[in-house]
Amino acid sequence: MKKKILPIAIAATLMLSIFAGCGSSTENAGSNGSSSNTASASQTNFDASKQITVVTREEGSGTRDAFVELTGVLVKDGDTKTDKTVTSAVTINSTEAVITNVKDNDAAIGYISLGSLNDSVKAVKIGGVEATAENVKSGDFAINRPFNIAYKSNLSEVAKDFVDYILSSDGQKVIEDNGYVSVSENGAYSGSKPEGKVVVVGSSSVSPVMEKLAEAYKAVNSNADIEITTSDSSAGMQAAMAETCDIGMASRALKDEEKNELTETTIAKDGIAVVVNNNNTCDNLTLDQVKAIYTGETTVWSDIVK
Amino acid sequence: MRLGKIRETAMQGVFFLTAITSIAAVVIICIFLFCNGIPAMAKIGFSEFLGGQKWSPTNVPPSFGIFDMIIGSIYVTAGALVIGVPVGILTAVFLARFCPASLYKVLKPATELLAGIPSIVYGFFGLMVIVPLIRQYFGGNGSSLLAASIVLGIMILPTIIGVSESAIRAVPESYYEGALALGATKERSVFKTILPASKSGVLAGVVLGIGRAIGETMAVVLIAGNQVQIPKSITDGVRTLTANIVLEMGYSTGLHREALIATGVVLFVFILLITLSMQAIKSRSENHG
Repeated sequence: MKKKILPIAIAATLMLSIFAGCGSSTENAGSNGSSSNTASASQTNFDASKQITVVTREEGSGTRDAFVELTGVLVKDGDTKTDKTVTSAVTINSTEAVITNVKDNDAAIGYISLGSLNDSVKAVKIGGVEATAENVKSGDFAINRPFNIAYKSNLSEVAKDFVDYILSSDGQKVIEDNGYVSVSENGAYSGSKPEGKVVVVGSSSVSPVMEKLAEAYKAVNSNADIEITTSDSSAGMQAAMAETCDIGMASRALKDEEKNELTETTIAKDGIAVVVNNNNTCDNLTLDQVKAIYTGETTVWSDIVK
Repeated sequence: MRLGKIRETAMQGVFFLTAITSIAAVVIICIFLFCNGIPAMAKIGFSEFLGGQKWSPTNVPPSFGIFDMIIGSIYVTAGALVIGVPVGILTAVFLARFCPASLYKVLKPATELLAGIPSIVYGFFGLMVIVPLIRQYFGGNGSSLLAASIVLGIMILPTIIGVSESAIRAVPESYYEGALALGATKERSVFKTILPASKSGVLAGVVLGIGRAIGETMAVVLIAGNQVQIPKSITDGVRTLTANIVLEMGYSTGLHREALIATGVVLFVFILLITLSMQAIKSRSENHG
């Protein structure tokens, strides 16, 4: 009897500690919520003397490639290109983890695709221009990148028709409806509606809009069957080169060895939003300031927000 | 009679095939790694690849130096051992010699459950709980060598506890009784006779733990910060060999991809060394035993 009391007591303590833990964490969530609500009113709880935590994506990521090129972090000198991203930058391989890092850290700065932006972080204006689809389209928002598709020259009839559809005004409208920016000025779709199957493989940045395009295309051409596999830009290009798929998707420009074998077509544009913590008082950065932060010239927030 | 014989040979074939499967897998992985990795290393230059401190694969011209990551892997593993080994061995001693039977029924499954938790869950736990705590109490941005060491230390616990406990239990009861008979207290008998006698088994557990720590990927990539640098303090970020592969595999092309496979070769050599030392420990304990 006596021996049983001990494990029961331990179990009870564990349970209590779990409840206590949950209780305190919801409390935290509550206080976080209220602080972000009042942040715009008081803005006193942001400590600008903190070191900036620079959050970046991994080498080779389409988002990073576009970001470093457009902000000037990538220095080109003749034939050499050097990515000057500061070595102390936290490196992460997913958009979600970038958001989590910036959300939880007052002093962090990161960058994500405009389509993935949500309320948990704050997108700063770049040179006074807000990060919106309209501004990406007009070209006012400086940090934007192409969404590409690539295929071999011996494209099947139905795949060719699908590409025509994407570039037609109908397809471009689907792209705009989903918050991305259209690039083609072609007329309405007037294809022959051929029968067959199209396999599309590639970038997880492009595939959400590609799925919408496939849906819309199947509505006008019920003979076609479109299969989309989401992986990443390089896998998409390799599949297209090996002809295991018809069309590859990439959220970056094609590399030279890929260009040798594939035809590259830009189907849409996407903006890259620079995001900071909701408590951060900074809401406007110039392109040069972004560059200075990412190359490690500016290391504390007080140099930017006074 | 003849039917029985046929069945016998047939079953022998089946067992042979199953034995071959695992060996074939190892051999094929070896061939894949070395055929792809060694030429890449040669192209980059062995000393530049292993000793280089600059990793910028997308630059033109690119540099592929993984020295910082080799050091990173060693640091993170060492950190995990500092946290995991004392806790693991003392837990094993407690479970084997001091734990009341009723408590054992709770504790043992709990440590085994620790082994069954997927590593990505450990990673999220680290990102949501440990990283903010470190940011608050130690400074820096939280994603650090310390965070990775703590999470890996927890992850290697079940390995160390499990192997050490069975090693401690395998020590003949007469050692313990002998120590007691000579007038030693219970604690003294356990720590001065039983634990030294189970030394090689405990060591085997630690080596297995090293293997797990150095090969762990998903948890580390979320919480280590992944900067290519040799950390100067425990709150600095660090990139391990495994993290380097999983971070960049998705987007890499050409020589960059081959360099990542070559990183895998280096990792494979590490694991090979660990396995060999494991064998050495085993054979030594058999000779002595």
